[in-house]
Amino acid sequence: MKQSMKHRMMKTAALVILGVAMAGGSAVAADKWDGGDDLPTNPLACDAGPAAAAAAKPYDGGQTTGAPDKVGKPITLVDVPKLIGIGYFNATSKGMQDAAKEIGNVKVSTDGPTEAKIDEQIKFIDNYITRGVDGILFAANDPVAIAPVLKKALSKGIHVVGYDANSQPDARQWFINQAQFNGIAKAMVDAMAKEVGEDKGVAIVTSTFTTPNQARWIAEMSAYAAKCHPKLKWLETVEAQEDNVLSFNQATTLINKYGDKLSGLFGMTSVATPASAEAVTKAGLCGKLGVVGLATPNAMKPYVNAGCVKSVVLWNPVDLGYAATYVIRAVVDGKLKPGATSVDAGKLGKLNVINGSEILLGSPFIFTKDNIKDFDF
Amino acid sequence: MAVLAHEVRSGVPRWLIRHETLLAAILVVALAILGLFNERFLTIDNLLNQGRLMTEVGLLALPMTFIIITGGIDLSVGSIVGLCAIMLGYSWKNLGFPLPLAIAVAIGVGGVAGFVNGLLITRVRVPPLIMTIATLALYRGLAEGISQARSVRNYPEWFFFTGQGEWLGVPVQLWILLVGIIVTGIALDRTTFGRTLYAIGNNETAARFSGLPVDRAKLVVYTLSGLAAGLSAWVLVSRVTTTRSDMGSGYELDVIAAVVLGGTSIFGGVGTIWGTVVGLVMIQLLKNGLALTGVKGDATIIVIGAVLIASTLIASSLHGRREVAG
Repeated sequence: MKQSMKHRMMKTAALVILGVAMAGGSAVAADKWDGGDDLPTNPLACDAGPAAAAAAKPYDGGQTTGAPDKVGKPITLVDVPKLIGIGYFNATSKGMQDAAKEIGNVKVSTDGPTEAKIDEQIKFIDNYITRGVDGILFAANDPVAIAPVLKKALSKGIHVVGYDANSQPDARQWFINQAQFNGIAKAMVDAMAKEVGEDKGVAIVTSTFTTPNQARWIAEMSAYAAKCHPKLKWLETVEAQEDNVLSFNQATTLINKYGDKLSGLFGMTSVATPASAEAVTKAGLCGKLGVVGLATPNAMKPYVNAGCVKSVVLWNPVDLGYAATYVIRAVVDGKLKPGATSVDAGKLGKLNVINGSEILLGSPFIFTKDNIKDFDF
Repeated sequence: MAVLAHEVRSGVPRWLIRHETLLAAILVVALAILGLFNERFLTIDNLLNQGRLMTEVGLLALPMTFIIITGGIDLSVGSIVGLCAIMLGYSWKNLGFPLPLAIAVAIGVGGVAGFVNGLLITRVRVPPLIMTIATLALYRGLAEGISQARSVRNYPEWFFFTGQGEWLGVPVQLWILLVGIIVTGIALDRTTFGRTLYAIGNNETAARFSGLPVDRAKLVVYTLSGLAAGLSAWVLVSRVTTTRSDMGSGYELDVIAAVVLGGTSIFGGVGTIWGTVVGLVMIQLLKNGLALTGVKGDATIIVIGAVLIASTLIASSLHGRREVAG
């Protein structure tokens, strides 16, 4: 009798300790990390001026070894985005199909993991290397982890061009940058400050802290805010991994945790922004809590029309996929070589080369109640 | 009784109708079919590459076989991999340890994590399922907290040899896996320790009353699982050249699928390392072969699920036949 009582007490004690340790562990985890990366930032001027021309950098992309000569011949491409099944990458995929039809001798298919996991993405790319494609288009879940498999592709003569989320420069030949990082940061922070005021608390819902583009934007946003909106208070950054339900839960948790101290939510992914808007609507704070973020117009139409969200920042992802396909065709045809300063991208005209091996799509675009009905993606 | 048994067996050698042999036969047939559809599938290059990719899950599957044979389970292996990967990066970058010491620290942390699992399972009699679900969350939370969600990069070149290099033409981590398979295979099949595990799985009370060191054996297998997770983390970080706090998430399901597919009964008492290896190879090559043939993305998971169900059916029909024969 006494032995089993002692056992039961020990068991309860152990479970309690475990519970406390779990809570402690997660409390430590929810610490001060703001989600930005450690690369140098370059905030823009505070007034509404155009972006200054970036200084020219030497070409720093990778090169293929032994790529077969396919100038003017049909090529097969594969597009491996961060994940499939979300509106943003459906849009980039559509852009690629449009470009392929226009160019005529390009076949591109989109394939990828259903969750934004770098390990799965690496396996997809690996399988396509074995299958033997002519070119790979990618949007990386992690810039460093994806580098070895991309370098393997380059060494097997497969062309590699990135879009949306970069990898290390020497692991790909070119990268289509949708908009300057500091331009996006300026658009987001200015829109938020205009909506909620200067002296308020804001929080960020992002994908993961190591996703390259989100980390870059957050770093630039902090730098720009420190320069031009110093009274803005950064409360917390939470991860939601491009998952709808998780984004909604994280946003709701932030609203409940900070209550009145929270005046605005930044959504850093096209999944987080509608989810945050939904969380704000469900909490009945429409109009009182500002939501500014990156999202596709279709996902945000209900919230913008209801007045919950005033501005949505994005670029045109269809154009992004379109440009990526034209760029890789130009690389295969030898029309885009290291050291070039611009490339011809079909109906988009001439796109400039910045930062050595990045190709700039354009400036960020702000969707508001007035213009959102004109877009359908 | 003996006469009845003789009639049922009807001349087919016992080893031929074992689960593992049937599975191996199915594997050969599946590979042949997939090889017909895609000529790049059965090349040495591709097969070695798949061997490289399956090492991380494979190293975890070996001690998991031990654990499931004893009737337990370890759902925290994926989180321990994440924790060890973070500790490798953290102790190298933030604590300034020389890299070889950091690797040892990572594997050691894995061992401690596994030991904690085993301790609470044996001393306090927390059911393994509940214990390892708790530590799954605990260790993942620790990994995220310690790393502050930063990833550690810029390792020296020699570090990548484990994950990306080759020795005698075979990927380095595959050699590590082969050594692991041989050692665990011999341990399970030929040593008292192995037989203790089978005894525990078949009837734990009887094993305890027979004087077998039941608690010690269980402690050892859970610690081994933690150590294997540390080793797997080292290989993983070396292969992807960076550490992330979400590494290893979801591994536990792949590992358990491989082990169960290989004929280890989830109720304990039955299983071999050889079966686990066949299960592991089958899942990896099926996924790869299907992807090469053009089956899109996650449709391969449907096939894996179907194969798992089929193997369970085979196992249960064989089990039924064994009961009649015995």
